Amino acid sequence: MRRLHVYVLLVAAVAALVYARGLNSYWLHVAIIAMFYAILTASWSLLAGYTGLFSLGHMAFASIGGYASALLVLGTGIPIPLGMAAGVALCFAVGGVIGWVCLRMSGPYLAIFTLAFSEIVRITFSTEDQVTAGMAGLHTTPLFESVSRLPYFYTAFGLLAASLAVLGIMVHSRWGLFFRAIREDEQAAAACGVRVAHFRILAFAVASGFAGLAGGFYAHYIGVLTPSLGSLDLMAIVVVMTVIGGMEALPTAVGGALAVEALLEYLRFTQWRWVLFGLLLLVTMRFARNGLLTPVWQQFIRLGDMRPTPPAPRGVEREGSRV
Amino acid sequence: MSPEGMIVHGETLQKRFGGITAVDAVDFSVAEGDLIGLIGPNGSGKTTLINLLTGHLLPDTGGVFLRGRRVNGLAAHGFAALGVARTFQLSQLFGRMTVLENMLVPGLTRPRSTRTGVARRARTYLEFLNLAHLQDLSARSLSGGQQKLLELGRALMLEPAILFLDEPFAGIHPHLRDDLIQRIQDLHRSGRTFVVVDHDMESILKIARRLVVLARGQKIADGLPAAVRSDQTVLAAYSGL
Repeated sequence: MRRLHVYVLLVAAVAALVYARGLNSYWLHVAIIAMFYAILTASWSLLAGYTGLFSLGHMAFASIGGYASALLVLGTGIPIPLGMAAGVALCFAVGGVIGWVCLRMSGPYLAIFTLAFSEIVRITFSTEDQVTAGMAGLHTTPLFESVSRLPYFYTAFGLLAASLAVLGIMVHSRWGLFFRAIREDEQAAAACGVRVAHFRILAFAVASGFAGLAGGFYAHYIGVLTPSLGSLDLMAIVVVMTVIGGMEALPTAVGGALAVEALLEYLRFTQWRWVLFGLLLLVTMRFARNGLLTPVWQQFIRLGDMRPTPPAPRGVEREGSRV
Repeated sequence: MSPEGMIVHGETLQKRFGGITAVDAVDFSVAEGDLIGLIGPNGSGKTTLINLLTGHLLPDTGGVFLRGRRVNGLAAHGFAALGVARTFQLSQLFGRMTVLENMLVPGLTRPRSTRTGVARRARTYLEFLNLAHLQDLSARSLSGGQQKLLELGRALMLEPAILFLDEPFAGIHPHLRDDLIQRIQDLHRSGRTFVVVDHDMESILKIARRLVVLARGQKIADGLPAAVRSDQTVLAAYSGL
């Protein structure tokens, strides 16, 4: 039964949907925010983990998606899903342009460029307060009239599942191989016939589109949108969640978001929680650079696989299964 | 030599880096079925010439032609799509990907390729290169010689019209070097066209049907190996006179 892990995940997902009905409002909120982060970490994993493009502009796209949807809905009265879709389309297009501008950049240069872009977006949303209400916050139209958070939970769950489905199909296709080849060596990838510029721009556009989706949902969930959604603090949290989970696979990136968000809530009673959080990051970087959840996930996906793993020759490294 | 009838033709190619002329008005043509040894002392411009002929560098002046069509400015992936494959001086594999995945990447860039068909072809080449038993290992865990073989395999997955091999024998075990020479000869007999750059004269002379010699960015000899070996200009370039 080689696909046992898939069935286990499906059962866990159904159990989560059923169990959510018994959660109080506070924990429902925690779960919704965790799923918001999970969409961001999964899409950032496509960019940084699969393609090797260490962008720090991801939260700027969440911000653009959020404001675009909120302002369109407020200004034109279009249905919220349509506003969110417009936000996604705008982020996809702007992400593609940023990807094109950054074609010759990598490593720290790309990080600094996207950081500057992110700050420009944040300061613009702060300054243009006649449109965005600045730091006072833009009152957005709620996605549901209900006071219960359950519909938001199911929506976040659905958006996360849809995002993972699309991203999963991408990284399992030939595009996924091309993204990873670009991450490993752009010159060699080009020599193999990979259209490097095309796929770098595509990775930026797709990841930005999903960041815009998360931002759009957040805007219509949280009720008051401020430019701090695009702050470096939140970007750092997304990076840390992805790194702690494991940035080179979607499930570990998502697991990082869910685990870190839950951990931060459990540690809320102590003023040391950010210190503990920092320590966790230090431990990850020192002992498990590929993420704390990567070995767990690799064991998990072997559930039910009765085929023996042949021993690797001495001194030779075996590549773990990727998802 | 006219570009017509040639797979690859470089016409008066020049490339400068700052004040240094790495390639200086070089004409270089490769016909179908050639096996050319491209040799020269360190810094003579061999790798720069390969980079110009495979789209990894743009010439300052001169033209690059593929089967008579001028392709200056075409990106490296475009050269690959037109059947120009290459390996690198220092192996540039996709280190954290498996041996099989390294082979799949070029195969899947081909139009109308399917994953099943490409994987089958990749396994056939891995068998040919004695790497089949390593297909699930990460490429970075291979020895230097195995990495050179894998780079050759990856280039073959493009089903190229011509292969440029940049120092394929550098720093590899003599046993694997002989293996690599054997594979190149087998592939040449089956109709492949090669340009092989190396310092290892002994290996080059075993396989080359034609030798081209560069020194200080200029072509100083081009002909049959026996004639080139006794050429006084070549001997002077190698002895530094």
